[in-house]
Amino acid sequence: MSDQTITSTTSALPKAGILSKEALRTVEETRAIALSRRKRGSIWTGLIYLFLLIMTVFALFPIYFVVQASLRSNQTLYTTDLELFPAQPTLDNYGYVLTQLPFLNWVANTFFVCGLATLLGIIFSTTAAYALSRFRFRGRQMTLVILLAIQAFPQLLALLAYYLLLQTLGVISTAPLLGLAVVYAGGSIVFSCWNIKGYFDTIPIELEQAALVDGATPTQAFLRVTLPLATPAMAASALLIFIGGWSEFAIANILLNANETGSNLTFAVGIYSLQNDFRTPWGYFAAASVLVAVPVSATFLYLQRYFKSGLTIGSVKG
Amino acid sequence: MLRVKPRLIATYIVPMLMAVALVDVWPLLYTVSTSFTNKSVIHLDDYHFVGLQNYQQAIGSLDSSFIYVLLLTFLYVFVCIALFLLVGMATALALNNPRIKGRSIWTLALMLPWAVPNVVTPLIWKFLFNYDFGTFNQLLRLAFGKQAGIPWTIHPIWAFISVVIVNVWLSYPFFTVVILGALQSISQDLHEAANVDGANAWQRFRYITLPLLRPAITPATILSGILTFQMFNIAYLITQGGPITSPLKPGVTSFVMIYIYNKLFGDTAGNPHYGALSAVAVLIFFILLGMTLLSLRASNVAKGANT
Repeated sequence: MSDQTITSTTSALPKAGILSKEALRTVEETRAIALSRRKRGSIWTGLIYLFLLIMTVFALFPIYFVVQASLRSNQTLYTTDLELFPAQPTLDNYGYVLTQLPFLNWVANTFFVCGLATLLGIIFSTTAAYALSRFRFRGRQMTLVILLAIQAFPQLLALLAYYLLLQTLGVISTAPLLGLAVVYAGGSIVFSCWNIKGYFDTIPIELEQAALVDGATPTQAFLRVTLPLATPAMAASALLIFIGGWSEFAIANILLNANETGSNLTFAVGIYSLQNDFRTPWGYFAAASVLVAVPVSATFLYLQRYFKSGLTIGSVKG
Repeated sequence: MLRVKPRLIATYIVPMLMAVALVDVWPLLYTVSTSFTNKSVIHLDDYHFVGLQNYQQAIGSLDSSFIYVLLLTFLYVFVCIALFLLVGMATALALNNPRIKGRSIWTLALMLPWAVPNVVTPLIWKFLFNYDFGTFNQLLRLAFGKQAGIPWTIHPIWAFISVVIVNVWLSYPFFTVVILGALQSISQDLHEAANVDGANAWQRFRYITLPLLRPAITPATILSGILTFQMFNIAYLITQGGPITSPLKPGVTSFVMIYIYNKLFGDTAGNPHYGALSAVAVLIFFILLGMTLLSLRASNVAKGANT
């Protein structure tokens, strides 16, 4: 092996001497090639900037549009000419939404429903996820398989069952928001459980074993040692349940029957209830959308760092 | 594993199992059992077992409305996923280019559609698509004169295109994030080595980048396919599943979930046949179950490829 390399390098030596002359000659050429490459490279870079600019307009224009629409009086929205800036910006739409529409009721209702669903979902799924991650018992594998199958079943497909059950129980007429919260909790529980279990699996079990040796009970070890370490996964799951609820329209629309003023609805159903066959009050739509979308989007972006550690670990290792 | 008393295990897991049984398993079983009956609004209590009749109706003949809706849904999923991949890949490659300045600002701007609550998104786009007052037709009139205008959401084909555009707008950032993350984990040495060997940019992309991205892209694609398949808000809140062109046929944006929803609770539902719709729901469940198993397999393969 080493002999071969030696012979090949020695035989290559004289050639290298000849080549060096050519190499000198081609310095000019390589410089020219490098120059044209750089030129081509800068054209490329320009094209990439152009592409990013177009994509940014595509991404941001609808968002800009709804913000400027919320600042217009309703008349100036219904124009067939293009007008990108409101000539006389006004906060009238916001005033109307906050005082004349049951907007704050919708927000409060949605907070109640999503908050309760998140609380129930996280409590149930975290303890079960811990058991599935740390304990071995008969039926564990079976439970995991069943949970997986259920996760494939979207709740919307069972809407009829929910509707008939809750109607029979009288929930739809007495406490529809409570019923909705329970349905949302049930819909998210399985995903949260998988996600949090996946995260528990990455936490070394030695930590709890050490705590047990030191005299802690298993529940103390869970609450004091493991649970604090699993905060990212729990936060990510909680965020998903909470934010998901703000956008859920289909089930809420069936379970909630609007009263005279519509004050008993959630945001998603409430905002679309403003629309009727004859008229769509875009200014109010836009103002209400901005009021809800800004905090929800900001939370989403802020908590996205949890997705990196919480969700991806959970979903990849799940 | 930790050795603990069975009673403690039960305390941890039984509450969740009971919740799942009540809120998830029971409705599922109810739907399955209803699918074998002739239950409807009229026959709410005096229904009886009809065997596989509902299933036969749903998939027995190729021109049943369910088959039509299913094909529409698959077309929608296919077109959307192709565009997600294209736009996601292009944006990720652009954002990963070291010569681009201010990449975190560009990334944030391109991420924003993802953060908008998806119940607000249809509202915005519905207005942009409005024939008379929408921005798109205002622009077209500016460019091509007073008569110009596209019947977005009114004409079947344009309605389909509209819901695809909106879905691309709100979903491509997920692919940008996934692909960008995977791109950043690819060692620069590989590219340099290929460059020395004389591979051009396309060859480097085709034979180095793409194969290394596959473990990240495949599970994301299947997951996104599952979510697009069962998507409700976008198409329903923009078109209600319409436009309806014939009383016998569902609208061109009546994707599976919207189809069931309209049949059960829509304005023209009339006398909903609970049995038949439950059979459709069960069939959709099996399709989704198949896709879920596929995604598990894909992510297992991906994991194997990584280690």
